[in-house]
Amino acid sequence: MKRRDMLKVGAAAAAGLGFPAIIRAQQKEVVMLGIWPATGAFADVGPILDRGMQMALEERGMRVLGRPVKYIVRDSATQAGVATRRVEEAVDGDGVKFVIGPWSSGVALAVSEVAKRKKVFHYFSGGTEDISGARCHRYSFQWAASPYTAAKTVVDNFMKANPKAKRWHLLVADYAFGWSVEKYIKEVGKSHGLEFVGADRHPLGEREFSNYVQKAAANKPDAVAMINFGLDAVAAAREIFNFGLTPKVPLIMSWSSGVEELVQLAPEIRENIWVGSNFYYTADTPVAKNFVRSYEAKFGNPPGYAPSAAYGMTRMMLHAFDRAKSVEVQDVIKGLEGIEVDDLVGRMRVDANTHQTLRPYFFMRCKPKSAMKHPNDFADIIATGDTPLPKEYAACKDIGSF
Amino acid sequence: MLYALMGLGLALITGILNIPNFAHGALFAVGAYLLVTVVGAIGNFWLALVIAPIGVALLGIAIEYAGIRRLYAAGHDYQLLFTFGLALILNELIIVIWGPVGISHLPPAILRGGVDLGFTFYPKYRLFVMVLAGLLVVATWLFLERTRYGAIMRAGIENKEMVSLLGIDIHRLFTAAFALGAYLAGIAGALTAPIRGLSPGMGVDMLGIAFVVVALGGLGNLLGAIAAGLLIGVAQAVVAAYWTEASTAVIFAVMAAVLLVRPQGLFGIR
Repeated sequence: MKRRDMLKVGAAAAAGLGFPAIIRAQQKEVVMLGIWPATGAFADVGPILDRGMQMALEERGMRVLGRPVKYIVRDSATQAGVATRRVEEAVDGDGVKFVIGPWSSGVALAVSEVAKRKKVFHYFSGGTEDISGARCHRYSFQWAASPYTAAKTVVDNFMKANPKAKRWHLLVADYAFGWSVEKYIKEVGKSHGLEFVGADRHPLGEREFSNYVQKAAANKPDAVAMINFGLDAVAAAREIFNFGLTPKVPLIMSWSSGVEELVQLAPEIRENIWVGSNFYYTADTPVAKNFVRSYEAKFGNPPGYAPSAAYGMTRMMLHAFDRAKSVEVQDVIKGLEGIEVDDLVGRMRVDANTHQTLRPYFFMRCKPKSAMKHPNDFADIIATGDTPLPKEYAACKDIGSF
Repeated sequence: MLYALMGLGLALITGILNIPNFAHGALFAVGAYLLVTVVGAIGNFWLALVIAPIGVALLGIAIEYAGIRRLYAAGHDYQLLFTFGLALILNELIIVIWGPVGISHLPPAILRGGVDLGFTFYPKYRLFVMVLAGLLVVATWLFLERTRYGAIMRAGIENKEMVSLLGIDIHRLFTAAFALGAYLAGIAGALTAPIRGLSPGMGVDMLGIAFVVVALGGLGNLLGAIAAGLLIGVAQAVVAAYWTEASTAVIFAVMAAVLLVRPQGLFGIR
């Protein structure tokens, strides 16, 4: 063997030995996917969702149980077809085992099916009741309050403050999330003797609300309650003000993203708006205070529901890793089932039988312009509620096996 | 009425340049954002309502002069791609300058609140928009029908070669048509700001409807665009009163129905 050949063999051997080492290192990585909308109906929300998840992972130095975390982001486009394809590609191509998102409930239901089929961990914020209800399974979890918890918190506390406002007009987004919350608002409303004088449904992405508002005004309601979200809610609230309903007639945004929606409305428009939300930045918990402080320092404005949900879900998932002391999908799922921690919004538990996160829901009242201490001082938290979904409504009969 | 205004501007550009202007929605959005910025700077809504659309018209001239003019020789595909790319650029520029978060803009104080029309309650500002948009549509129509330059523009739509053979500077004509189309988009945007608020995606929402209006009226047909804009607006309002879920779908249902019966559009000849 010549000296030159010897070198070649040596180099090849070194490469051969070195290469598996790289493979091993890659295997140790825990790959997590944030499936967030960068285009489509919720394009404005995707980037701030990404912030929340990123912040929760950075708090841990991008490591979990001593292993490096690889965090990747894909665009859900708020379309079921696109989102499911991208999740599948990320699972098959990038080795993703843990999926958080997307934002829209309808799309999340489709992604949940992928998680079940591909056997990967899936945490979703909320809106639909089906992920922890009729279509529950072992791999998907819901972080936001149950629509029942939200409806109960909103209706009970609004009626406490406005006992005479018994004639309600509803404006409902026509998809999974709207239907769920509408059902329970009507259900809880019965115990207060509410009369629903009208209930109109509008498509997701509606921008022309004048006709809906004219109909609402014609019903002469004591209160208008909206079950819609994001730009839809903002456009509708603006129109309700333009038609002179608010501030005379109170407007309830029953499932709002809070800050992100309120900042788009002028203070005059916000007057006499009552807001239910999964998060508000004045929440009085150590985790929330710390999160709000670092978020404001980084981005100059307080976080709303979206970044908080992404942050909160990621934290809960990381708690589950700690509890499971494992990075295997099924161990982490068992770790999250039945967990009980003080976290972002207070006491948070995960129901092992339904995969619903049991947690407080917030109810706020917007401040008049004169009472605002700074431009982001939109509202006061006037109540929280955490009544879980009563057993008789529970649609998740059997969470099943892996 | 706003639909008619948007459609008219787009029909003008489509007719004379023979290209669909994908940047029309973005010009609409720029009009709205300019209004809010100018109101913020000078504090006068009425003056801003004059200035903002002129700003958009100037932008239209710049676009035509710097971009589209160079592409007349290159063919329609390139012009189409250019306006499409331009729409994306303008949209991103809006995010860069004004941020991704939506803004609410209140109507001027004297137009806040509403009036009771007996059968229904209607915001004063919307009434004002209806009247002003109506006047603008009539004024534009009179300009195109009754003035010499308007006649030349219409002639340009009919037959470009003939007009240029008659010794008329066709390039200047194109620039003027583009500026007028941009002006109409800009003022529609400015008028919309207090009604729908502002968000970077507002142009995209409006562009779809503007295209429906143009297709419905007959491509490049100005009277058709006005009629189609009114038809769509009325159809949407009527349907929303009885079957709110379908109020967006009806826009496209009307278009499909009309195009099935009259493939050339309401007033189209092509």
